Parts: sequence; structure tokens; C-alpha cells
Amino acid sequence: MALTDFDIIRRSMTARLFSTVTTIATVAIAVALMLVLFAMKDSGRRAFERGSGNMHLLVSRDSSPLVSILNGVFYAGAPSNPIQWQEFQQLSIDYPLEWAIPVQLGDSYRGFPVLATSREFFDVFRLDEDAGWSLAAGELFDDEFEIVVGATVAGATGLDVGSELFVSHGIAAPAALRGGGPAGGESHIHTEFTFRVVGVLDPTGTAHDRALFMNLESSWIMHAFDRALLGNPNAPVTTLEDITDADRLITGALLRVATRPGRDVSSAIQVVASRLRSDPSLTVAAPSREIGKLFTIVGSLQNLFVGMAAVVMVSSGIAIMLALYNSMEQRRRQIAVLRVLGCSRGRIFGLVVTESAMLGILGGISGAILSLVGLQIVGAVLKAQFGLVIGATLPPRESLVIVVVTIALASLAGIVPAMAAYRTSVARSLRPLG
Amino acid sequence: MPDPDAQSPALRIRSLRFAYTPGAPPVVDIPELELAPGRQMLLTGGSGSGKSTVLQLVSGLLDPSSGEVWVGGTNIHGLSGARRDAFRGRHIGMIFQTFNLLHGFSAIENVMAALMFSDVPRSEHRDRSRSLLDDLGVERIDAPAETLSIGQQQRVAVARAVVVEPALVLADEPTASLDPDNAAQALDVIQSACRDREAALVCVSHDPSVESRFDDVRSLHELRAAQQEASA
Repeated sequence: MALTDFDIIRRSMTARLFSTVTTIATVAIAVALMLVLFAMKDSGRRAFERGSGNMHLLVSRDSSPLVSILNGVFYAGAPSNPIQWQEFQQLSIDYPLEWAIPVQLGDSYRGFPVLATSREFFDVFRLDEDAGWSLAAGELFDDEFEIVVGATVAGATGLDVGSELFVSHGIAAPAALRGGGPAGGESHIHTEFTFRVVGVLDPTGTAHDRALFMNLESSWIMHAFDRALLGNPNAPVTTLEDITDADRLITGALLRVATRPGRDVSSAIQVVASRLRSDPSLTVAAPSREIGKLFTIVGSLQNLFVGMAAVVMVSSGIAIMLALYNSMEQRRRQIAVLRVLGCSRGRIFGLVVTESAMLGILGGISGAILSLVGLQIVGAVLKAQFGLVIGATLPPRESLVIVVVTIALASLAGIVPAMAAYRTSVARSLRPLG
Repeated sequence: MPDPDAQSPALRIRSLRFAYTPGAPPVVDIPELELAPGRQMLLTGGSGSGKSTVLQLVSGLLDPSSGEVWVGGTNIHGLSGARRDAFRGRHIGMIFQTFNLLHGFSAIENVMAALMFSDVPRSEHRDRSRSLLDDLGVERIDAPAETLSIGQQQRVAVARAVVVEPALVLADEPTASLDPDNAAQALDVIQSACRDREAALVCVSHDPSVESRFDDVRSLHELRAAQQEASA
């Protein structure tokens, strides 16, 4: 057993515990900030892209492709201009499509959007290439007034297989709905039609977790009833037979272009998209392109944050330098004693730089732990608010780079105080203390 | 690394001069001084006679304006920085008036700190330090050094100076902050510790009561006067 340089460093750090801990905390916060930003940069985009799954194009009558994606993939709002059912059917005839899925938004349950669609939505539309939709309980809808509930909705409302519910026409704030009858005329609850929950979906980590799903006919029957009420306030409850072409409306179509192996997929999509655009009333959106656009906006904001985090990191380096430099007065005598005992100036220099690097290492490790905690919190908020799942994992390469840079920065910060230690005059520092 | 030669004097000084600013009258001016291995010498002088400065020159912590210092046959100022530090760590022990123990380190760690810069195998550091502290009568070897009594701190300081078995021990006013009883005891410990390890001892003091304990007593003032006479 022997005393080591490391013992001396450790003792020096614990002797000024308050300064050491606050310095480490400063470094940790900077590192955590940096890591969280980098982690979100990656997984944020992935989470966004997941929602559009394997669709190539989204056709709607929204005001712009970006709005179309925000509505159709993220349920931001209900599109106001419908597409006729015949128009939709013509799409599959006119274009070489692998599949086309009709979707209709506008109904809601306690503020959660209800998506009316066909069974193909669950059969051919996939969020992941290798995994389809999976049910936590029950089965998919088969008939009118059967409804399937997304994971977040089930968690928030307590709906389970067998639960019954009323759907309100038009997306409205939950507070307005709790009041009972029609609120503001925009939305009203159809108590005439009782829906039964037949299935609960597993979480997908996308906005779809915040939605409920039913077939198109269910929505069309409600629409037909509203139309009947306009003519006769005491009109009988409508059924499947009462639906006319005026009711058969959808708000969007998810398209996947048919591709043959060996052909360039993106150019095939391009061809279909530009032909679709020849009808100026249609809005044709390529999800990856629109999400890319969204992320150029978000990305430049993120770069600003990363820049700010970098400034915080540099200032934490300065904090290390100041903490060590200020401690030099106190440790001059210790340095002098070590020199008397045979310690070279170079080794003294090394001790101070190593202490500085230690602050960087401890700050880096604490920062990594802190960032994991931070990501859990940010992840929980994003999941609750937007149904987006952000992996609580750090990007390994960036994390390593950030931690290494932190340690390098900390070592660099140690050079100035280490120079002061190097130059400490033994003769002067050993004068008897008054 | 040059090792001290048993045949060479423990300390030999030739024409040593030191001034804090070039051209100013030298603070230290020793034409010649020699100490045989294992012998003990007292250097006396009033305050401002440059006693502490002499020890810092001898230990290589200060560079002289001119002249040479040989410790066990090695010209200490001929060694470069790191080699000189290593030489000091292995062959010179120092004891101070205020002990200069490392705060926050226990008694035994203070002694082990000296061994960090020696060539004693690391596995022996603790045992060697413990038995030396036992020999010198230090009781609470794991207590923080600053919590020990003055007498005990003095012993830790002595242990730290002699643990590397140095050829030369330099003691700077070791009794100045002690009462007469403690002072006598402290000198007993220092002198016997050096004698037991055959280390030469140079003690500087302005305390006349110490003189009777040394066979070889030199006054810095007389050394300088002799020089001036010779050159006159």
C-alpha cells in the first residue's frame, strides 16, 4: 500500500467539497443539455417519420401539403374540404397504386380524434416495414358502430373492450363536450348512435395512439342523420340504407404507389404525384418531404439550442478553471511541501490538470445520467401531449464525442491553474505562517 | 541518478553566494563548508542572516548566484529541474519550524507522501511508515495530522524527513515554536533519528541553548567574516 497521486487529487477535491460539487454540477448540466438535444434531434425525427409508415403520398383538399400531413398523420385538426367517394374510387383506376386507403376525420370522442377508415388501414398500412398493427385486447372493427381505441386513448379514458360511447361530430375541446349538448354549434354528441369498443391497440409510439378508429359507414350514417334533421327535426334514426352519395365523403387518401423490383421507387412516386397535381383542387403531400421541411424549421431552432449548449459547455470549462485557480492560494503550501519531498514541477502540473480532467469526467458521467433522467421526463411529456415516443437512449457516437470533448475541455481548463502551480515558488510558500 | 558516495562528505559547499537581486549584497556568502557523512552541525545566526536561505540553496530549491553545493558527491545545482527534485526526494530530508505537514492527510499519510518520490518499493510504504512512527512514539497514526499535539506533529515531521533514509537532513529552526521542554525533546528526536540512520544533520537555529547539543557549531556571520578577511 502506498499513497498515490490519485490520493492527493482526491483529497484536494474533497477538501473543497462545495467548490468541487458545484463545478461538477455546472459541467453535468451543460453535458446533459447537449446530450438531450442530440438525442431528441435523432429520435424526434424518427418518431415523426414513423407516423406516416409505408404510405407514399397523402391526398387531401387541405390548404397545403404540410397542413395535409399535420392533419392526416398527426391529427392536428380536421380537414374542412372533403373528397367525394367517387373521386377516391377513380384514383385507384387512374393510377398505378399498390393500395389506396380512404380516411375521414372530423369526429371526436372527448377531444380525441376519431378516424373513419376502411379495414385496409390496419391490413396494408404499416408503421414499420416488419411489424403490422397489434391489438392489446379484442379485435378490429368489422361492422358499423364498432370502434377500436388507440393505446393513449384507452389509458386516458379507461375505455376497454365492451365499453360503450357516443361520438361527437366535429373535433371540439373536451370541456365543451362535458357541458352536454351542442356547444357553439360546431360539434354535437350523437347520443342516437351507441358505439361499442371492440378492440384496444398496442402503443405504436405515434400520433395514432391518440386516435379512435371506426369504419366509414358509421360516420356516413351520422352524417345522413344530420342531413335528415335539417328537413325534419323529428326524423327517425338513419341506417345504412339511408346513406346517399352526398354522405359518402372522405377527407383524405393514403396512397402507396405500385413499384416493381429494380425500378426507382422515388421517381415512380414523383410521376404519380405530379399527375395528381394536375387537378389543382387536390393537395398531394409526400410525408417524408413534408416532415423533412418541418425539421428544417425545427432543425435550425435545434442548432440554435446546440449552439447555446456549446456556450454553456465552454462556460462550465471556465468555471473549472476559476474553481482551480481560486484554490491555488490555499494549496500553494501543499505544493511547496510536495516539491520539498521530491515532487517535480511537471508532476505538480500533472496533478492539477488531472484534477481538472477528473472534474470533467465526473461532470460528464453525471451529465449522461442526468440526460437519461431528462429524456425520460421529456419523453413522458411528448408521449402524453402528442403521442410521440422518443427513445430514452443516447446516440452512442455523439454521446461519446460530447463526453470526450468535455474531458478535453476540462483538461484544457486545467492548464492555466496548472501553470500557476508549476510556477509556485517553494522558497516563498514555505515561509513560516504568522 | 547519481547516488551519494559513502566516501564523499555528506555536504560540501564551495564559494556559495546568493542575492535576491543581482548586484545586491549577498544574503548568503559561504566560502567553504564541509560535513562528513553521519555527522551533525549547527549553523547559527540572527534573524536575517540567511539561515533558511542556506537550507533552500542546499536542497536545490533555490539557485545560487555563484558557487557549488555537493550533497554526497553530487553537485545538486548541476542537475536539471526534475532530476534535482528526484535527488532531493531520495537523499535530502527537511524539517521546518512550522512542520509543514499536509493538511487533510493522516500522520501516516504524511510520512507515506515522502516515499512517493523515493525508490522504495510501493508495497513497503505503509509498513515502513508505520514502524518508523512507532519508533518515534507517534500514537494516533491514522488521525489527521493537524489534530495531533504539537509534540506529536513534530515527530511526524521528523519521520517524514528520515523515512527515505536520506544522506542529509536539513532542520530549519526546529525548536523556534516550542517551549523549552518540548524543544529539548524535539532535538532529542531529530538528533537520534539521524544518528540511528547515519544521516548527516544540518540544523539552523538562532537559539543559543541548542549549541551545547552539537560538537560542530558554525556561525554564518563568522563564515562570512572569514571570507572578508581572506579577501582583504
